[in-house]
Amino acid sequence: MQHDDQQWRLTGLSAGLWCIVVGLGMIVFWLAEPAELAARHPEIFGMKFNAALAFTVLGAAFLLALSGHRALPAIGALAVLGYGVVALAQHVFAVDLGIDQALYRPFTDIGTSLPGRIAPNTALCFILISLAVIRRALRGESDIVQIACSYAAVAIAATALIGYLIDFDAAHDWVAYTRMSVQSATCFLALGVGILFIGARTAGYHRLAIAASLGVATYLILLTLAYLKVSEQAKRLPFAIDRDGISSTAATLLDLILLSGLIYAGLLAYSYWSSRRYRRSATHLSESQGRLAAIINAAVDGILTVDANGTILSANPACERIFGHAPEDVVGKPVRMLLPGPPGDGAEMTGGGHSGAGYVVASGETDARRKDGRIVPVELSVARVELAEGTVHTAIIRDISERKHFERQLLAANAELEEFAYRTSHDLRSPIASSIGLLNISRELLENGDHDALSGTLERMERNFTRLDHLIQNIIVLTRDRLLEEEDRRISPFDVVQSQADTLSTLEEDGRVRIANHIPPQLTISTKPSKFEVIVGNLLSNAIKYHDPGETDPRVDVHIEEHDGRIRLVVEDNGLGVPEEKRPLLFRMFKRLHPSRSFGSGLGLYILKKSAESLGGSVTFEARDKGSRFIVELPNGGEHEAEHHTGGR
Amino acid sequence: MKLNTILVVDDDENDQFICEYTIRKFDPAIAILKAQDGTEALAILKTETPDAIILDINMPIMNGFEFLEHYASTFAHHAPVVAMLTSSQLGSDRERALRYPFVRSYLEKPLTIEHLRQMQALLEA
Repeated sequence: MQHDDQQWRLTGLSAGLWCIVVGLGMIVFWLAEPAELAARHPEIFGMKFNAALAFTVLGAAFLLALSGHRALPAIGALAVLGYGVVALAQHVFAVDLGIDQALYRPFTDIGTSLPGRIAPNTALCFILISLAVIRRALRGESDIVQIACSYAAVAIAATALIGYLIDFDAAHDWVAYTRMSVQSATCFLALGVGILFIGARTAGYHRLAIAASLGVATYLILLTLAYLKVSEQAKRLPFAIDRDGISSTAATLLDLILLSGLIYAGLLAYSYWSSRRYRRSATHLSESQGRLAAIINAAVDGILTVDANGTILSANPACERIFGHAPEDVVGKPVRMLLPGPPGDGAEMTGGGHSGAGYVVASGETDARRKDGRIVPVELSVARVELAEGTVHTAIIRDISERKHFERQLLAANAELEEFAYRTSHDLRSPIASSIGLLNISRELLENGDHDALSGTLERMERNFTRLDHLIQNIIVLTRDRLLEEEDRRISPFDVVQSQADTLSTLEEDGRVRIANHIPPQLTISTKPSKFEVIVGNLLSNAIKYHDPGETDPRVDVHIEEHDGRIRLVVEDNGLGVPEEKRPLLFRMFKRLHPSRSFGSGLGLYILKKSAESLGGSVTFEARDKGSRFIVELPNGGEHEAEHHTGGR
Repeated sequence: MKLNTILVVDDDENDQFICEYTIRKFDPAIAILKAQDGTEALAILKTETPDAIILDINMPIMNGFEFLEHYASTFAHHAPVVAMLTSSQLGSDRERALRYPFVRSYLEKPLTIEHLRQMQALLEA
């Protein structure tokens, strides 16, 4: 559009310059008074001196108006307007107002009505064009008056020019012996076209419609003039019979004029209507294409189109998120580059089946290869679309790595829960079943009066219930660990170890195991206090429980290391250790690794692991030459998000 | 055929005690063999073939199912009656155990005289 206007501006410039060049040229010719040339080529002097001057002024005014001046071009064009009005008035009122030779007395005359007098059509065109230039200068843009004036002027000038071309005098000689010269006609045409078309579009006028109607108007004017000429000549003929013949020819001509006028007008209206319709549908199409493109570009899912050979034709921006490749980088590449596996590799793919407009080729889960080489699970649905230019496949791709991740987590959690339910149902029932048996035995022993054996049986029952109680306590700890919402607090790990060690020494055995607390007493860490206590308690009780009875100095050493915002709690013992083949089972629930000393619930290390994980940490086991080393690594303070921790599996 | 020897495989010392008491009461003449887990049981079975085995499922080191697998694959001759004795009756466990032809019954703890009578009947059948 910008470019278009630029071109018209250039046309306007040429039009103005043309007027100035022609006008100045003619002034020079008149002033030079070349009598010989005038005798040989009188047509050169068809443009009068005054007219040449007027064109020079008008051309300059037009150029000034185009470059944004207001007053100067308006004044110049006003002068020309005045000249045009006076010149026309002379013709209309058949008077001589002395304008014809006001500035210059012609040295020659080409046989016009009066020397120096311009034709009425020329005068009219001066009026029209100067009016248009004045308006353009004042308004700075196109309007209907300018268009109407220049339209009429162009039609008149074009008629005159065509008259010269087809040797039809009436076209330029409205009044006998006064004609619009060729030069004048070209100048009017140039200026008229310039005014008509520069800025026409911004003012809401269609150039094509104007041009087409101008063609029609010129054609009709020519035909009308021809008709007038013929009927005028018919009147002048001396013989009546011939006059009738000519009159009927004139009538036929009139009919033809009307008919062709109608046909032209109809065609013009139709072409205007159809161009309007075309433009509307083009606008609709581009709008709907824009909407579609916006939908595809904004889609969350990746959308690829692939040709029959598996070459990618297009990719939307979401593809970049899924594959890491920019859309323009994958166009033209084979689709296998992004989706290497056969669709449905290891996943359920449903092949075939009509679905709406497309034919579903495949849908299901598959692997996608990212730019960095990483493989991500995606859900893919491919539809075949038969287009005029061939078969195209559209693939809709959804990254499901997050869903898969949660799915795996859910499955793992579910499996763990199932195992927990299975094991607890067994382990809870086990001491009760055993106690029922013991109760029956006790009753018999009581009846038989065997009190010694009865006492032993009751002790067994007591042990059963202690075991049951211990198991239930552990389950409570686990549940509390899972459900308890706790805030981070600054605590002293030294104090925690000390108080847990004190509690255990009163409960366990004979206090033979020595617990050495090497944690600096002034050190504080930020963590969830009760979970940290559970961790320390389990580490210590585990070390005490599995101490080596044959060891002369059974001991537990507790250290803490701090680096990179994480703390490592290290608990070492010189106890029984863990047999190599049992190490993979270490942190599983209900695994008792020392059956000869199996008085635990089998949940201790499982609770330890769960507690560490819920603090965003981890627990590892290292075998020592003699004994075990457990390392619990925890974040020091709020940067972890326990609920989202997914490590350890 | 009379029950002469029974192997009790159970890691729980109380359950072992109950089994021993009940078997004694049922028939003091029966010889009782004891194993803490599957490996111990397999070791005993290398030298002895009891008339019946009472087998727990949840045991450390080698559990009941692992024992059954070993017993089925490495022994050509099996005890005529193998009875599972477990604290909980889980359908899948029961099916899994009864897939072995020598597993004849699936009992719930504690062991009773009635259980032993059933085993005697199975042996006689």
